[in-house]
Amino acid sequence: MPKSQFVDPDILRKPSKITFTDIDVNAYNKTVQEESAIYTKADFMRIYHDMALIREFETMLYSIKTTNSYNGLEYNNPGPAHLSIGQEASAVGQTYLLDTDDYIFGSHRSHGEILAKGLSAIEKLSENELVEIMESFFDGAVLKAIEPTADKSDIKKLAREFLVYGALAEIFARETGFNKGLGGSMHAFFTPFGIYPNNAIVGGSATIALGSALYKRANKKPGIVICNIGDGSMGCGPVWEAMMMSVMDQIKQLWGEGYNKGLPLIFNFFNNNYGMGGQTRGETMGYDFLARAGAGITPNQMYAERVDGYNPLAVIDAMRRKKEIINKEGGPVLLDVLTYRISGHSPSDASTYRSKEEIEAWEKHDVLQGFERQMVEAKLATPEEFAAIREEIKALITKVCGLAIDEKISPRMDLYKNPLAIESLMFSNQKIEKMEDREPEMLLPRGEDPRSKQIAKKIRYAYDADGKPVSKNRVFQLRDAIFEAIRDKYYTDPTLISYGEDVRDWGGAFAVYRGLTEAVPYHRLFNSPISEAAIVGSGVGYAMSGGRAIVELMYCDFIGRAGDEIFNQLAKWQAMSAGVIKMPVVLRVSIGSKYGAQHSQDWTALMAHIPGLKVVFPVTPYDAKGLMNSALAGTDPVVFCESQRIYDIGEQFHKEGVPEDYYEIEIGEPDIKREGKDITFLTIGTSLYEALKAANELETKYNMSAEVIDARSITPFNYEKVIESVKKTGRIVLASDACARGSALKEMAQTISELAFDYLDAPPVVIGARNWITPCFELEEHFFPHATWFLDAIHQKIQPLPGYFPVQNFTELEQIRRNKLGV
Amino acid sequence: MATPVIMPRQGQSVESCIIGKWHKKKGDPVSPGDLLFTYETDKSTFDEEAKVGGILLDIFFEEGDDVPCLTNVCVIGDAGESTDEFNPNKKEEEKTPETTQAKQAEGESPTAPVKEEQAAIISRKEGERIFISPRARHLAEKAGVDILSTPGTGPNGRIIERDVAGMIEKGKVATAAAFKDYQGKALDVTGSGIGGRITMSDLAAPGALESMASVATTKAAETGPDYEEVANPTIRKTIAKAMHASLSNMAQLTLNSSFDMTEINEFRAKIKASKETLDLPNITINDIILYAVSRTILDHPYCNAHYYDDKTLLFKNVHLGVAVDTPRGLMVPTLFNANRMSLSEISTTSKSLGEACRNGTILPDSLKGGTFTVTNLGTLGIESFTPVINPPQTCILGVNTIETKVKMAGSELKPYPAMTLSLTFDHRALDGAPAARFLKALVVNLENFSALLAR
Repeated sequence: MPKSQFVDPDILRKPSKITFTDIDVNAYNKTVQEESAIYTKADFMRIYHDMALIREFETMLYSIKTTNSYNGLEYNNPGPAHLSIGQEASAVGQTYLLDTDDYIFGSHRSHGEILAKGLSAIEKLSENELVEIMESFFDGAVLKAIEPTADKSDIKKLAREFLVYGALAEIFARETGFNKGLGGSMHAFFTPFGIYPNNAIVGGSATIALGSALYKRANKKPGIVICNIGDGSMGCGPVWEAMMMSVMDQIKQLWGEGYNKGLPLIFNFFNNNYGMGGQTRGETMGYDFLARAGAGITPNQMYAERVDGYNPLAVIDAMRRKKEIINKEGGPVLLDVLTYRISGHSPSDASTYRSKEEIEAWEKHDVLQGFERQMVEAKLATPEEFAAIREEIKALITKVCGLAIDEKISPRMDLYKNPLAIESLMFSNQKIEKMEDREPEMLLPRGEDPRSKQIAKKIRYAYDADGKPVSKNRVFQLRDAIFEAIRDKYYTDPTLISYGEDVRDWGGAFAVYRGLTEAVPYHRLFNSPISEAAIVGSGVGYAMSGGRAIVELMYCDFIGRAGDEIFNQLAKWQAMSAGVIKMPVVLRVSIGSKYGAQHSQDWTALMAHIPGLKVVFPVTPYDAKGLMNSALAGTDPVVFCESQRIYDIGEQFHKEGVPEDYYEIEIGEPDIKREGKDITFLTIGTSLYEALKAANELETKYNMSAEVIDARSITPFNYEKVIESVKKTGRIVLASDACARGSALKEMAQTISELAFDYLDAPPVVIGARNWITPCFELEEHFFPHATWFLDAIHQKIQPLPGYFPVQNFTELEQIRRNKLGV
Repeated sequence: MATPVIMPRQGQSVESCIIGKWHKKKGDPVSPGDLLFTYETDKSTFDEEAKVGGILLDIFFEEGDDVPCLTNVCVIGDAGESTDEFNPNKKEEEKTPETTQAKQAEGESPTAPVKEEQAAIISRKEGERIFISPRARHLAEKAGVDILSTPGTGPNGRIIERDVAGMIEKGKVATAAAFKDYQGKALDVTGSGIGGRITMSDLAAPGALESMASVATTKAAETGPDYEEVANPTIRKTIAKAMHASLSNMAQLTLNSSFDMTEINEFRAKIKASKETLDLPNITINDIILYAVSRTILDHPYCNAHYYDDKTLLFKNVHLGVAVDTPRGLMVPTLFNANRMSLSEISTTSKSLGEACRNGTILPDSLKGGTFTVTNLGTLGIESFTPVINPPQTCILGVNTIETKVKMAGSELKPYPAMTLSLTFDHRALDGAPAARFLKALVVNLENFSALLAR
């Protein structure tokens, strides 16, 4: 809460009433005849064509899924196909006015939207632009599949074939698909046409679309963003989080001139009345009309209305009006687009949840037949003309389907020939200093914010010339190191944005951002609502659209609140896009202590488990700045773990102190913090400092010299240094504050066992926190590993120490007992 | 009433804060709510406002000072009031640094402490499961250590690297060629190969075969260890104690000097010739040396002495210890008042003492009280040695064998019989020069033995 805004009790305590305005339901009531002023015959026929193309495309898929054949072609498609037969008008109506600057994000049921948006983009792009797109995409790999048999005299026609083929080849998991077959039916997309990822997680696109809209607003990019989600997603927390964050008052009230307009975003609910088989209206939720939700979110009710999605003209009309609102006043907008899928949720759907009569009733409202009937009745076209369109489409679909199932023309990724094909897409591993080349917008010259001035007086090494520790208030702290890296990036990359809970004014709960408030304009650094899913998910959308983001979760424990966004979105889109998308997002998570069971957990293992995330955990200022610099220079998602125990720690290892200048530490490289020869300690996080204490005790009391290695990174991780050390010492203890079971250390210990088995004098021993809840601070010594635990473990599992009395029980019997009980 | 203003503690983890800016000067009037100063933690900047009104009487810290939390920063009160009692700088007490060391948990320990394992060679049965770490196994293979004989001191008796290293240190290693024969036999064979490795020829040596045979027999019969245990007799323990105490407590060093035995030989020849007529005993070279010592040493009192930390006893008479080799070990009977005995008496008495020692009839009192000892290894052909002093004596004389040496007689080389004397002395009791002077005087007296007798 900024001081400029006054929470006035005199106003807030006054009695008054909240009033609502009426929300339109299916207000559009014009006929084709009446709309002839706006649409030419060609326009009308194009609307029909696009709907018919979607219908035929889905019919073909349905036929293949259920009968393994279509129009004389035989094919078995084991992959998913969530069809939207019946919903064509809503897709075509939505995209009719959109161009390539407008982005759509979709759901698992988005074939229709891909085709509609693609066809609309093809209509609007010039032939040259189309050729350029087709020839450059994957170096023309998609185009090459259709080229030999295509009619190249008509570029638009070629482009339509390209679109249908690219989408279908993707659905059939072919390497010639839009995402090399790595996305598939539920994820196919094609960014050159403004078609952004479709998401198999219900409501998954909400937070991502929010991020994309943020990108457009904060970087003054043209176009609007449409979040296509279903009525079923109205029950998803992240959808609500995305809506709440998208309407945050600060945009209009606090963001600077040029940025202070509502987000160019439409939450478009394709309301087909079912979330899989559950009836969203009447059974699983209780809003009656979905559009009602808008009234609960903002005073302008998100300009919400219910639109008849069975009439393409009604949808186009709504989109025209909403675009205008967004351009004039800003969004976001909520649209409840009524529709109905005649097809089941998937081909295996037996429709046990709805009656035959219901389906038949909607078939009577069939949009294609209805539109044709209107046109014929209005004498705007003849049935033959419609039949011709359908014939042409059927020929196109048949041809494309033939190409897409041809193993020669449309091969799958050959992992025998190229075993690295998928692994090489897991990370983009690029270094891009700035995502866009323009002057970054800042409020102060670099170094003139109060924090930087304070830091300028600090000593950048933990010990003074006499070897005495420098006081905490005078030493350059770990939080300063992170600050410095982020501050510098703000002055380099104009797209860099960062947000989270209390990052502005407060400076982050742990004062990392303190000082940035004065230097960074609001739209580049702001407080988000307490919406972890939206914080992370919007970071994904922001990066996907071309920017670089640092998003922060105040505590590592809050990862659960952003689980899907981290595990399914942040981690996966680079590979699922076959490298089309980059994900330069740094997710800062702070690992707590002292605050008990829900505020003190090291969950690095959860993130390390998910392919596609880089995970680092620096615990010295030198490492923190170097790794943050690396994370911010790269194009991959990096989960940047920090520890609240040591934000104030000074640099104890890098004798030259923490450089003021830019430097990078390579992600994935562990660091030897202390050399030794008799035993190796490998630590993740602040256990490093306990390991060093243990090393000193071993040296003085037991004449054993310990080599202490700080993992620094968890994924990726270069084992070479560790193996070299273990070959030398023959013994290794791994330690971190994470609960031992399933921890990242267990993974490392197992890998070390394999890589250094012949050199081991004892099994690698993991000491982690107990498999309990984190108790209160006063009891933490029984929970988190500390120096004596190292000696206990060595004594009992590696090499008995003469005269040593262990405290913790590391015996095998105890290990079996605890595992038996799951504790 | 003066009121101190403390540095607030902004959170549990904050130990101290830096004063940012003073907004009031000493002597300024202040009202409640007035901004006194700003202060910074590592996280944020805070304002400190006055809670009482009055005069800002004193300021204890300047801008930029790092002030521990809850310390008085300034004092507000009425003009003229004393602020001394609030001044933290006047009663500066070194705060003891927080001890964060984990408390050693009390109570029962999950496992007992390890005993220092005896690292004796052990013998496992053929086919017995051996628990050994991969690292230890590799080292054993590389070094030629027999893991069947290696004790395991790791967890659950696992053989770990240090156990194999212990075997290597003790030389329990064999060459690759010899390993097959060596393995599993727990042989106590000394290696003669590179780095002390046991070679095939070591195994082929008679001792080894015996050892192998005995091991085999022992193993077959399973009748206990492959050695005979012999209890140390008291004399051995006494000698061990005395000799070790001697070497560990004293600053011993040995001087060697030889003398021409020509005259002594002539003298002994005469005695031999007239032995029966004069009723003389068989005078040995040792008797002559004992006599010469008894007549020389009183001029060198620190050689005929007992040395203690705080005093030295210089004896007026010479009580000579005479080392005697007996079947039970070394014994040193004392020839009391040797300086008052004739050569003949010395000879007779020392012989009877030696007999008594060998027969075990020596009286305990005769084994005490020596002031100087003579020990003779000459009969065993020893040319020079470092005898060990019998404390609290300060010297011991070692008598060596007779050798032939040459010296210049005019322009000619002349051979002569020579004997080396090795005098060990305690440098704590006397210095090198007085010891050397004694040895020189002794040598001169022995070379001119007739003249000594005449005295």
